[in-house]
Amino acid sequence: MAKSRALPAEGEQPDRWEAQLRKGALEMAALASLWQGRLYGLEIIRFLESHSQLALAEGTIYPILNRLKAEGLLTSEWVEAEAGHPRKYYSLTDAGRERLQLMAQAWVSFSGGLSRLLEPVFDKKENLQ
Amino acid sequence: MTTEIQIDSYLTALRLHLGPLTIAEREEIIREINAHIRDSAEETGASVETVLARLGPAAELAAQYRDGLLISQASRSFSPLVLLRAALRLATKGVFGFVAFFLGLFGYTMGVGLVLTALLKPIFPANTGVWFVNGHFHSAGSMFPGPPPNVHDVLGLWYTPLALTLGSLTLLLTTFLIQTSLRVSQRWQSKL
Repeated sequence: MAKSRALPAEGEQPDRWEAQLRKGALEMAALASLWQGRLYGLEIIRFLESHSQLALAEGTIYPILNRLKAEGLLTSEWVEAEAGHPRKYYSLTDAGRERLQLMAQAWVSFSGGLSRLLEPVFDKKENLQ
Repeated sequence: MTTEIQIDSYLTALRLHLGPLTIAEREEIIREINAHIRDSAEETGASVETVLARLGPAAELAAQYRDGLLISQASRSFSPLVLLRAALRLATKGVFGFVAFFLGLFGYTMGVGLVLTALLKPIFPANTGVWFVNGHFHSAGSMFPGPPPNVHDVLGLWYTPLALTLGSLTLLLTTFLIQTSLRVSQRWQSKL
């Protein structure tokens, strides 16, 4: 998709890169938010906001949940609430738990490797100050 | 009351843009987004306008649903039409999808061509075959009118079983290729 867009000005690139990074992690984050039990869409959004810096466009999460469900990683059920309308609660399936564990392992080894790689960058910054 | 109208018109637009999905899928999405709008407005005390703005335009939200579902369902489908449609969608997103779509189109054409000529061979034996001139390949397939007189058919009636096998294999391989491309692209989808 990025290919079809004009290249942004130099100064914008770190922001765009960060936005892509956040989006890429979103699928895993959505699965992770359900590790301890079922939640409905808005609760997932609030959970991600409070437990990580994943502030997101609220519309982004619903299509992802829908796709994860179509892939058999999540199930959902409608539960009546005091609010007057039912809410759609999501929970992890066994396949979803397995997938999340694999993703988490891959993530930790990947980010660990990158952190070591980036150590000198942070050292240099301190030296300059 | 105006908030009801705002919510209604947002959901109507969403329903409209979710057209290609089944009615059950669509209504389930509408119901969930409806609950989200009401819960979000109530919880934060924000106006419906603000909540809708945070959701983004209905057309964009619907497009995210459509892309996600189309590609994830198609990657498990065996229908050439469904597969090609999903590959075409992918083709609009970059070079990878473009290549996958054209390889898919080429593969299906080849496969169908082989199977079709295999079936034509028993009906028009003189017009179908693999022809050689002086030990060099000349042409293959079905020709109407027939091939020039100086060529000879090397396969004879073997053409039918061979072309059938090769054609079926090509079709299977093409199906597998598109499914794999769609699965690979899925891993990227969430990053785009």
